[in-house]
Amino acid sequence: MASEMLPDEEYEVQDLLLNVGPQHPSTHGVFRMVMTVDGELVKDVVPYIGYLHRGAEKLCETMDYRQGIGFMDRTEYLAGHNAELSYVMAVEKLAGLEVPERAQWIRMILCELNRLSSHFMFMGAFGIDVGVFGTPFIYAWREREAIIDLFEEISGDRMMYAYFRPGGLAWDVPTNFVQRVKEVLVSSKTGIKDFDGLLTDNEIFRARTQGIGYISAEDAIDYGMSGPSLRGSGVPMDVRKDEPYLYYDQIKFEVPVGKNGDVFDRYICRLEEMRQSVSIIEQCLEHLQPGPIMPERMPRMLRTPPGEVYVRTEAPRGEYGVYLVSKGGNRPYRLKVRSACLSNLQPLKQMSVGQYVADAIIVLGSIDIVLSEVDR
Amino acid sequence: MTSEQPEGAQQPTASLDTTIWAEVDRALSGITVTPEAGVLDLIVTIPRDEVVRGLRALKTDAALHFDYLRCLTAVDQEADGIDVVYHLYSTTSKHNLTVKTNLPNDDLFVDTATTVWRAANWLERETAEMFGVRFRGHPDPRTLLMPEDMDDTFPLRKDHPLAEIEILQGEGMGYTEEDSE
Repeated sequence: MASEMLPDEEYEVQDLLLNVGPQHPSTHGVFRMVMTVDGELVKDVVPYIGYLHRGAEKLCETMDYRQGIGFMDRTEYLAGHNAELSYVMAVEKLAGLEVPERAQWIRMILCELNRLSSHFMFMGAFGIDVGVFGTPFIYAWREREAIIDLFEEISGDRMMYAYFRPGGLAWDVPTNFVQRVKEVLVSSKTGIKDFDGLLTDNEIFRARTQGIGYISAEDAIDYGMSGPSLRGSGVPMDVRKDEPYLYYDQIKFEVPVGKNGDVFDRYICRLEEMRQSVSIIEQCLEHLQPGPIMPERMPRMLRTPPGEVYVRTEAPRGEYGVYLVSKGGNRPYRLKVRSACLSNLQPLKQMSVGQYVADAIIVLGSIDIVLSEVDR
Repeated sequence: MTSEQPEGAQQPTASLDTTIWAEVDRALSGITVTPEAGVLDLIVTIPRDEVVRGLRALKTDAALHFDYLRCLTAVDQEADGIDVVYHLYSTTSKHNLTVKTNLPNDDLFVDTATTVWRAANWLERETAEMFGVRFRGHPDPRTLLMPEDMDDTFPLRKDHPLAEIEILQGEGMGYTEEDSE
């Protein structure tokens, strides 16, 4: 550092304020952080969010329960099915709706497929953050495209599905659904293998990611982190395992955890999670039987009795919670979306201080933020 | 025990037996607590003067050990003030708990929970700008999602206008006032 090499009395040493974003490719969206740098070392980070705030919570208060589904897709646009799931489950809990078995299995398959597509997106974008330009991104998009094509065949949309309904699903899946899922799984397995070979044992990749952006298990819990970002620090917390929803209690799967709490462990947790998701989907396909996808007696206008519920599910980025307060009637009195990324982003300063500027970008990438979910 | 049973509670007291109320009651001895069995989790209401003391007791209690703050938000109850709601979770005992506290409309403040969990920092900033709740002793009381100079209007309050959209919605969907009742 300059201050060590040159005597202070002759040269005044000054910290530099470095503004990153809000429009910058490496911030994964509209995110701004002001870094105080001493040479190449980060001394302070002040994040600024809110550029994408659209007031989704307030808007949902003005709409009936079925109209709110679309807004959930738009908060978490890389894992729309998972976001919808929390919302429709919250409405179901309040209204006391029983969801048919077939609908639950289909929901599970779609949520896990969405986890795969979301993690593929992470792999590609993270590769670029680290500096492996091009190849992983194109690999990731190849596999993600196959999954998104399947979602389009089912729901009619590539990202904003609005396919789940309180009580079940909007309509049944196409007749070739099982066949198509199996095809997608084959390509996903190839993709996971490709990433394993391309990144995991790559010496440069390891040198860039190991020991960077450390956060301890205690700190991660205290900051309310969740998902792979928390499990990378060695906390085996997964809503699917701890408080099983859908039929996760009937499925065998493991919760991968890291040891060191660094960027590499957060990456490897996601990679291992993708293998688990493939296994979960394969088991779900065995359970899938023909049957109804909506309860027999559904009111034309769905109303809920007064009450409140906080439903949490494990989305690809962590815990996606929906706090729904009803005072009766057909619309929420208050709807709060608990964003996993917002809580994961809080310790950014702690993880980045003392690192190089280029590594701070990797730390940000390893949290896998979706700014649309952070700002809502 | 200082805890009191609410008059005319919606849920029968018997359903509290299936929850962790007994343990929570023990951990919160000396604090006024009103329990209610929620749809998924136990809900306890604590007066605002005691709420942070209660939250800290819940976190440090060896058996319950609520070390994880899932969510912190507020609900505008219009004439009845604003409720601040804390959703707690324990990574060791896997228990869930909802803690609520009511603030009167003419004096909206509560002590900060950042001294208990650092997770509360941004969540309180968001709640403060959206509802106008002051969190006393917050280390960084800037706005989070809103513009820095937007400190006179609180978007998530019920009196904040969203009239045009509601009219649009009403016409588009053919709703009447009866439908929303």
